[in-house]
Amino acid sequence: MQTVIEMKGDRQEFKEEVETTDMALFVRTSDESMHDWDRQRIVDALLRETYVDLDTAKEIAREVEDLIATSKIKMVTAPLIRELVDTKLIEKGLEQARKMHTRLGMPLYDVDQLILHPNKENANVPHGPEATNLTLAERIKKEYALLSVFSQEIADAHMRGDIHLHDLGFVDRPYCSGQSLEYIKRFGLSLPNSIAMAKPAKHPEVLLAHMVKFAAALQSHFAGAIGWDSVNLFFAPYIVGMSDQELEQLAQMMIFEFSQQAVARGGQAIFTDLNLYWEVPKHFEDVPAIGPGGELTGKTYSDYIKEAQRFAWALFDVYQEGDGSGRPFFFPKPMVHITEKFFSTAGHMDFLHHICDVASEKGNTYFVFDRGETAKISECCRLSFKLDQTDLEDARQPWKMRYCALQNVTLNLPRIAYLSKGDDTQLFSKISEFVEMAVKAHLEKKRFIERLLSLGEKGPLALLVMDRDGSPYLRMHRASFLVGMVGLNELVQIHTGQEMHQSKQAFKFGLKVIAHMKLLVDKFSQRYGMHFVLEQTPAESTAYRFAKLDLKYHSPKSGHIVKGDISRGEVYYTNSTYLNNSAVLNPIERVRQEGLFHPLIEAGALTHVWLGEARPSKASLANFVIKTFQRTQNDQIAFSPEFTTCNLCHRTSRGLRSSCAYCGSEDVDGITRITGYFTKISSWNKGKLGELRDRYRNQAFLTEKEEGIVLNY
Amino acid sequence: MGLIKIFTKAKCPKCPAVKEIGTELKKEGVPVFNYDLDTIDGLAEASFYSVLSTPSIIIEDEEERELISWRGVVPTLQEVKQYLFRDIS
Repeated sequence: MQTVIEMKGDRQEFKEEVETTDMALFVRTSDESMHDWDRQRIVDALLRETYVDLDTAKEIAREVEDLIATSKIKMVTAPLIRELVDTKLIEKGLEQARKMHTRLGMPLYDVDQLILHPNKENANVPHGPEATNLTLAERIKKEYALLSVFSQEIADAHMRGDIHLHDLGFVDRPYCSGQSLEYIKRFGLSLPNSIAMAKPAKHPEVLLAHMVKFAAALQSHFAGAIGWDSVNLFFAPYIVGMSDQELEQLAQMMIFEFSQQAVARGGQAIFTDLNLYWEVPKHFEDVPAIGPGGELTGKTYSDYIKEAQRFAWALFDVYQEGDGSGRPFFFPKPMVHITEKFFSTAGHMDFLHHICDVASEKGNTYFVFDRGETAKISECCRLSFKLDQTDLEDARQPWKMRYCALQNVTLNLPRIAYLSKGDDTQLFSKISEFVEMAVKAHLEKKRFIERLLSLGEKGPLALLVMDRDGSPYLRMHRASFLVGMVGLNELVQIHTGQEMHQSKQAFKFGLKVIAHMKLLVDKFSQRYGMHFVLEQTPAESTAYRFAKLDLKYHSPKSGHIVKGDISRGEVYYTNSTYLNNSAVLNPIERVRQEGLFHPLIEAGALTHVWLGEARPSKASLANFVIKTFQRTQNDQIAFSPEFTTCNLCHRTSRGLRSSCAYCGSEDVDGITRITGYFTKISSWNKGKLGELRDRYRNQAFLTEKEEGIVLNY
Repeated sequence: MGLIKIFTKAKCPKCPAVKEIGTELKKEGVPVFNYDLDTIDGLAEASFYSVLSTPSIIIEDEEERELISWRGVVPTLQEVKQYLFRDIS
């Protein structure tokens, strides 16, 4: 509440010894009431918010009152009084009390800038009043997190840029989550605080409506991605007997519903992953299927393979067409799982060609590789894990398969290398220190979330404690804690003098660093009984932030290391364990080499194949995908084309252009993948713009042949 | 002559058998390198060769090119020698 205190009359009235009640001051509050000046309010606040004793509080209040009375200020605001009190606390050496008494907020200038200009920290947030609300709230919660949730050691490490605590503005919620449609199919949509409860859906359109609403509810309880497991399979019992046309309509509704959620949190589309399978995953083969009305259909999911396949196909038909302007859909992201069973399931080559066609045409398809015979499942953040015995029991009741990652903490790897000055022992011991810091940050966040959860159904996380099946919706014992990294390539470059793609020795050194981190997180997992895992942080803004901070703290060395264009301010570090974006490498070799890191990184491992304006044939991409599955350890690949969309004629052409290929208008937007999703380039931060200029688009490996453009490797 | 890389872990029931093969070959003058996947160097080297299960044996030529490997299985000493011998010839 903004409080303004106005001084009435001549300031000369306020002599040094005037009593509080004699001061002709009015406190004007934003709840449209007026209060008299009352020195006691300062005392009350100090006693309520800090541990200072009554005498000190009174003394401070008196001193502040004197200061105001003798000053020449015409109007004082509550934040100013608070700052004056804080100055007194500092003068008296009461640092802890000052911290507890801090006011969170933003300068007028910053709010003005925010309201007028777009926020570029997350390209997925549009600019508008709702987005401004989101950013304002985030700023306050970020400050709150750094002052109150995390210890000073961790908060300082974040501010310095040793580590990055992701989504601090959403500190009061977990990071991302993996969902099962079975939950809403079985229990309907009954959300805490909702004024109406819906029974399990009887029709596919209603199930879709429940899914979308539940996703929106989840978005307001998680900071990041919401992933849905086996979407086409779990929809299958609802689509028995539907005509192709009806199915196409349903697929279209699903994709448009998720891509047009611009009315959700801060106008931010829900970051949605749809996990899709051509086959019936092994662990669901004999599971009794839930159908309309939440009833068991008497069949198992194996009996619905045809419907599941038809739905997956229809979804890709929609992706292929794109939106009303022919642009690719930014969300939901289709993640197709390529498994051993995929290749033994009838029709797989036709489907592979279909999804490769979409990959080439629009870029949407993510190819997720689950090798080996062990059952695996994808959570959020592309975190996948092998199912053990208890998971397989959960799989019999798939609504139990709800997962989450509580937080993501990323390490600034180049920083470690600057600090180690070429000394191996220093480097590895510093990595340990940084990982330990990340672990400490996770423990602090976990403690905070547990405190919120302990408030139960009356608390802020009521949705996550709702209990419909004998355990709370958020299964804390299954939560993961992500430790990410940025700039392995630059760490190796600083430490060895070569980038990872430049020599086998440098590459192996990179592997050693990640192996060290992997062993460390395993050790901490054992020590705390928690699931710490390495993640390839998408680092949409972190790669830029770390580079900027290192230019500040580690110049001149960092000036030779950061990637991008310093003169334009477009600087960045190479994401996670990726090889240099501009390196001219055979695409399959990049996929193979980057994939060697993937078994060490349980969450979020992916290789991008940048296509530029080329549109390779579906057959050549399908071969590439098969080869990636058979001959590499890569967890996931995505092909990324580039587009230009015209704001005047609303048509979309291939490649990044300064004017529309159809009407010549210069009012155009470039579109391509920023990290794990497509978006308009105009919303990108400078670091990512620098990376975009550097991306090697495989020009030398794309050739025109009779059958079309072919991706050679 | 080629060289042999052996990948093992502390808690792995089949690993002692492979280590024994390594010891035997070392006695015969074959360059044998042991990697323990519970150590940084061992795990990094295993990742480089996509060794995902233990025990594993890889035979390489002088330029560190993989000639043959046994992953997650234990060959007989004779089998390993056969390949080494083939390589030498």
